[in-house]
Amino acid sequence: MTKRQFRRRVRLIALNVAFLLLCLVTLVPVLYALSLSFSGRGAALSGSLSFWPKDFTLDNYRAIMFDEPFFLWLKNSLVLSAGTIALAMVCAVPAAYAASRWRFPGRRGMLRVLLVLNAFPQVLSLFALFRVLRLTGLLNSHAGLVVIYAGSMCVFGIWNMKGYFDTIPVEIEEASRIDGANDAQMICRIVLPLAKPAIIVTCVMVLITVWNEYLFATTFLLDSKTYSLAGGLYQLQSNDYSRNWSTFTAASMLASVPLLLIFFKIQKYMVSGLTAGGVKG
Amino acid sequence: MREKLGSKPWFYCLPALLLVVIVIVFPILYTGYISLTNMNLYHWTDYKVIGLGNYARALFKFDSGFLSALLTTLLWTALNMAIQLAAGFFIALGLNAPGLRLSRLYKTLLMVPWAVPAYISILLWRVGMFNTEFGVLNKLLTMLGLGKVDFLATNGIAFCSCMALNLWMALPFMISTIDGALQSVDRSLYESATLDGAGFWVKIWYITIPAIRPIIAPAAVMTTFITFKQFDIIYLLTQQRGYMTGATLNTVITYAHQNAFVSNNYGLSSAVSMLLFVIIILFSFATNRSLRED
Repeated sequence: MTKRQFRRRVRLIALNVAFLLLCLVTLVPVLYALSLSFSGRGAALSGSLSFWPKDFTLDNYRAIMFDEPFFLWLKNSLVLSAGTIALAMVCAVPAAYAASRWRFPGRRGMLRVLLVLNAFPQVLSLFALFRVLRLTGLLNSHAGLVVIYAGSMCVFGIWNMKGYFDTIPVEIEEASRIDGANDAQMICRIVLPLAKPAIIVTCVMVLITVWNEYLFATTFLLDSKTYSLAGGLYQLQSNDYSRNWSTFTAASMLASVPLLLIFFKIQKYMVSGLTAGGVKG
Repeated sequence: MREKLGSKPWFYCLPALLLVVIVIVFPILYTGYISLTNMNLYHWTDYKVIGLGNYARALFKFDSGFLSALLTTLLWTALNMAIQLAAGFFIALGLNAPGLRLSRLYKTLLMVPWAVPAYISILLWRVGMFNTEFGVLNKLLTMLGLGKVDFLATNGIAFCSCMALNLWMALPFMISTIDGALQSVDRSLYESATLDGAGFWVKIWYITIPAIRPIIAPAAVMTTFITFKQFDIIYLLTQQRGYMTGATLNTVITYAHQNAFVSNNYGLSSAVSMLLFVIIILFSFATNRSLRED
């Protein structure tokens, strides 16, 4: 072995060790919660530190699923997500299509203004939105929350899909127009299937936002039975986390798994899909 | 084939615009209006317009806390971005090192924090890492025979704890962006540089960084905005209702939130919100221009 090869070998080993340590440090919080979620009651308080479940039990999972309204929260989350995705897409797709295909007066201005409006931090609208909902009688209803979630994701949806529509050649549409299809038919049959990657990324982003939103959910829904999963778990830990901590770790795992699966499925789209429409003016 | 459009495009945009007006425009206008009034706990229904008093109070009275919150936010954003870019760059560089066979595995494992829902990450860290009884960090300290540390008790240490958590949550995006950019760099540039006798650091400085800068810039700008607007981490770690940890750390957003929902000073909170909005708009115009010139 020459000296050069030897040095290369040493450098690779050092790099591998560094990455193993880095991955370990990264995964500590998740692994610790995972092991606690399968451990008996005393494990969290014991002085020792272990990443392997002590007195293996499914008790925490049973507790979160049957002692708390977990399935109700899950159902609410699914209803809210589905409703938000539907409303956001129904509003954003035609607007994105119009902004991409037609050059009409006010188009550039509209896109700009939308981007500026999107800069306002949502958290700070909490109070005003509470007023809107009370005024319209939508307080404490899923419909009100769906409107708010859809509105907050609408600008992202328009920009993201407009960017993708721009890359679909117009000639394809013109051919179908000669065949006598009207606008709506053409969008549904030609444009949407071609824009599938952008549509999927947009829908998943909406899904993730709704799935993870706790502040609006717990402020605008007054009855904990109507909470989404995020709202329910947030409330669970804010009531008394020392008693519920093991249960909460189990709940965290259950709430994270669906997102983890979706995330790794679409991860390759995420970087390009997120930055494409975000900043380019 | 140019058809007459008329009002058709606006008809297509109408549902989206309606939604945006209700959910985004109205709250901004309403916040703007409230910022000109003295609405607070004592003037809940009988509030009246008082002009620019709230703005003056936020900007010129140092004890209002706004300016120190703004300083904290700037420090928070600058430190986070600097560490994120540097750490993300070197980790991505390591992942692309020739001969590293397990790099795909490492990359997947390093992406895990990105996939965990944000509020769950924060709550898991709050109890699982930082808590004095349940937290991993304190268990480690005890095992090493050291005293316990309350990682959220005072401003300095709470700031560092929040930053550690923010890095944990945000680094995966940075790593994967920079990793993608690195793979687009032309390999032949390195080979000719090696022939010219250039060392590792010289190649990084004169080839890698200039090549990836335009690709990373939009992602870096986006992350800067997200970091600047970060609310959940500081709120959930240190100032949940009933679980104030003792730290009085505030960024501008938590400051505005706290003024509205804890001290019920809606006028001041709205003025701060509007100032924040203006700052973000100015900043986004500035970055938009510099991105285009790149």
